Amino acid sequence: MLPPAAAKTFDELTLGHGVSLEDLIDRDALGEMVKSFYDLFGVPLRIFSEDGKLLGDSADQLPLYALLNSAKGGRVALAEVAGKVKNISLGDDGMASYPCPTGEHYRVAAIQYDGKLIGRMILGPFVHPAQVEPPAALLALDAELDSARLRELFRAMPRAEDDSVVKLARHLGRTLDLLLFSGHRALLTSNMHLASVRESFRELEDKNDKLQTAFDRLKELDRLKSNFLATVSHELRTPLTSIIGYSEMLVEGLAGEMTGEQREFVQTIRDKGEQLLQLIKGLLDLSKLESGTMSLRKTQTEILGILRDVAQTMTPTARKKEVELVVDVENGLPLIWADSERLRQVFLNLTENAIKFTPAQGKVTLSARMTAIEAARPEDAGGVVILSARRTAIEFRVSDTGIGIPELERGRVFDAFYQVDSSSTREAGGTGLGLSIVRRLIDGHDGTVRITDNTPKGTVFVVTIPVKRATIS
Amino acid sequence: MQLDFVNRELTIKLVYYGPALSGKTTNLQALHKAAEPGASGRLMTLETKDDRTLFFDLLPLTFRNQGSLAVRLKVFTVPGQVIHASTRRLVVQGADGIAFIADSRTAETQHNTDSFMDLRENLKQHGLTLRQMPLIIQFNKRDMPDVRSDAEIADLASKGREPVYLAVATRGVGVVESMIGLLHLTWSALDAEHDLNKKFGFDSKAFLAQVAQKLGNPKPIPEILKACVGGALDVLRPEAG
Repeated sequence: MLPPAAAKTFDELTLGHGVSLEDLIDRDALGEMVKSFYDLFGVPLRIFSEDGKLLGDSADQLPLYALLNSAKGGRVALAEVAGKVKNISLGDDGMASYPCPTGEHYRVAAIQYDGKLIGRMILGPFVHPAQVEPPAALLALDAELDSARLRELFRAMPRAEDDSVVKLARHLGRTLDLLLFSGHRALLTSNMHLASVRESFRELEDKNDKLQTAFDRLKELDRLKSNFLATVSHELRTPLTSIIGYSEMLVEGLAGEMTGEQREFVQTIRDKGEQLLQLIKGLLDLSKLESGTMSLRKTQTEILGILRDVAQTMTPTARKKEVELVVDVENGLPLIWADSERLRQVFLNLTENAIKFTPAQGKVTLSARMTAIEAARPEDAGGVVILSARRTAIEFRVSDTGIGIPELERGRVFDAFYQVDSSSTREAGGTGLGLSIVRRLIDGHDGTVRITDNTPKGTVFVVTIPVKRATIS
Repeated sequence: MQLDFVNRELTIKLVYYGPALSGKTTNLQALHKAAEPGASGRLMTLETKDDRTLFFDLLPLTFRNQGSLAVRLKVFTVPGQVIHASTRRLVVQGADGIAFIADSRTAETQHNTDSFMDLRENLKQHGLTLRQMPLIIQFNKRDMPDVRSDAEIADLASKGREPVYLAVATRGVGVVESMIGLLHLTWSALDAEHDLNKKFGFDSKAFLAQVAQKLGNPKPIPEILKACVGGALDVLRPEAG
C-alpha cells in the first residue's frame, strides 16, 4: 500500500503543511529504534504523532505499573498521569517535565521538522537514583496493594537523573531529525519521479492529440481534393471533346476547304486539345484510383501480347529519337490475373518515360521473367513459417540507358505531380501524373514497383505482379 | 504563497531558474552558508551521482518575530538540463518569484536564451506571463574568462525591466544581493495583491533588513538594492497581461 504522503501534492510536500511523522519514517523501524534506545539507556520511551497516535513503545508494562493496575486506586492514578503527560504543554525549548506525586518522573520533548511540531517523545517513567524509598503517596494509593511488594518494585524502577534524560532527549531529537530529513528526501524523490513521468506522459498525450487532429484534417483535405479533381476533370472533358471534334471536322474540310495556314492552325488547336485531354484523363484516373472507384477488369492475361503491343505503339517515337527498343520475354510464362488494358497503360507509360529520358543511340528493353515473392511481408514477424509461402510472380523490367534517377528521388517519383527536374526549363515534358497512376494500378494488381540502377548507366523500373489472385487477404 | 491564518505564518516560494550548470545550486549553497543557523534549515539536494540536479534543491529559510507574521521562504532550484523539462514545469508551478541565473560566458549566451524561452513557455502552461512574475536576472560566473562585459550587461539591463545582478556564486559574491532584490520585488507584488503589510501590521522594510542581516549582510536595504545594475526595482504591482 502507498504511504499516506503518496497522494499529496508537490506543494503540500515541500511547502510544509502536509508532512506528518508517519509519512517520513517507517513505523516498524521506529519501533525498533525505540526498543534499542531503551536497551541502551534503560529509560522507557514512547513516540507519538502530532495527532496522538502511538508510533513506538519501548517496553511492556513495568512490573510496578502492572501491580498498580491490579487495584482500582492504582488504575485511577495511572490514568491521571497518562492523561497529564500526554497533553502537557511544552516550553519554548520544546520540553516539559512531569513529576508524579508517586515518585516517578516523565520528560516530554517535541519532535520538530522544518520548524513544525509533528510529534512528541515521552521519556519515562524514571526515578532519581537517590530516591530509594517510595513516597507516601504511592503507598497510600490503595489499601489492597501490598506495600512490601510496592517497595520492592519501586526500587526496581528505571533510574536516571533528569539532566541526563534531557541530554538523551536532545540527542534523540537530533537523530530523529536526520532520519526525518532522509525520509523526506526519499519521499520527495519518489514523488517527483512519479510526477515527472506523469507530466511527460501528459505532454505526449497532448502532442498526440494535436497530431491526430492535424492528421484528420489532412485526410479530410485529401478527400476533398480527390472529389474536386474528379468533378473538375469530368467538367473539363465535356467541352474539350467538342473542341477536338469540331477542329477535326474543320481539318477534314467538312465546313469547306481551308488554306494551308488555316489548316495548320486548326491542326495545332486539335493537337493541343488532345494533349489537354490526356492530362485530364490522367487526373480522372488518378482521382478514381485514389477514391477507390476505379474497377479493374481482371482476366487471365497473356503477357507477351501486351509487351509486344506496347513496343509496337512506341516504335515510331523510339525511332524518332534514335533509341533502340527491344522486347525480351522468357519462354513459357503463365497467364496472369490482370486487367490487360490497365497493364498496357502501365507499360506504355513506363516505356514512354524510358524513351523520353534516353539520349540518341541508347537502348530501352522490356523484359519479363518468372520469379517468386514472399506472401507475407518480413515485418509481419508472427507465424512466418506458416505465412511466408512463396507465390509465383512475373517480374517485368523496363530498363533504359538514360540519365538515371538519383537514389533520394526514387521514393518520390511516384507522388502525383512530382518531377525530378522541376525547373521551368526542363527538357522533358509531362504532367507528373504518369508514375503516380502506374503505382496505383500496380497496387491494384497486388504487385510492387521499385527502381534500381541499370549498369553502367540508366534506370530500371521493376514491376512484380503475382500470377494468381491472393488467397490470403 | 501559502498563508496559515491559525499560526500566522506565510510561506513564499522562490525559484532559481536557468540553463544547465549556470550555478543555481551554487547560489543556494552560498545562501545556506551565509545564513545564520537559526534562519536556515538543511539544504536538500536531489541530485544524481555526478552532482547534477535531478529534480530540485530546496533551501528553507525562516524569519520569525516580524510584526505578527512569521515568514518562511522556500527557495527551489530547477534542474537545468534540457531533458528535465517536465520537472521544471512542476517545480516552477506556484512560484511567487523567480531568479533567473544566467551564465556570463559569451559561449553560453544561446543556452541562456533557450532557458529563458523555456521559462516563458512553462509559465504560459500555468497561465502566467513573464510580466506577471516578479523576476530578477543574475549574471553569474563573473570571474570566468571570456565573459560578456560589465558595460554590455549594464547597457542591456538599462533597456529591460527586470533588475539585473552580477555574481560569483562560488565565492558568494552578489548572491545575497540578488536574493534581497528578488524578495523585495516578490513582497511588493504579494503585498499589492493581498495587502499583507496592512492586514498583519507587517513592516516589509524591517523584514528585508532582518533577512539581509541573517544572511550576513548588515548594510542598509537601499544600499543592498543598489547592487542592481539595471532594470526597475520600484515595481509595486507587476503589470498584468
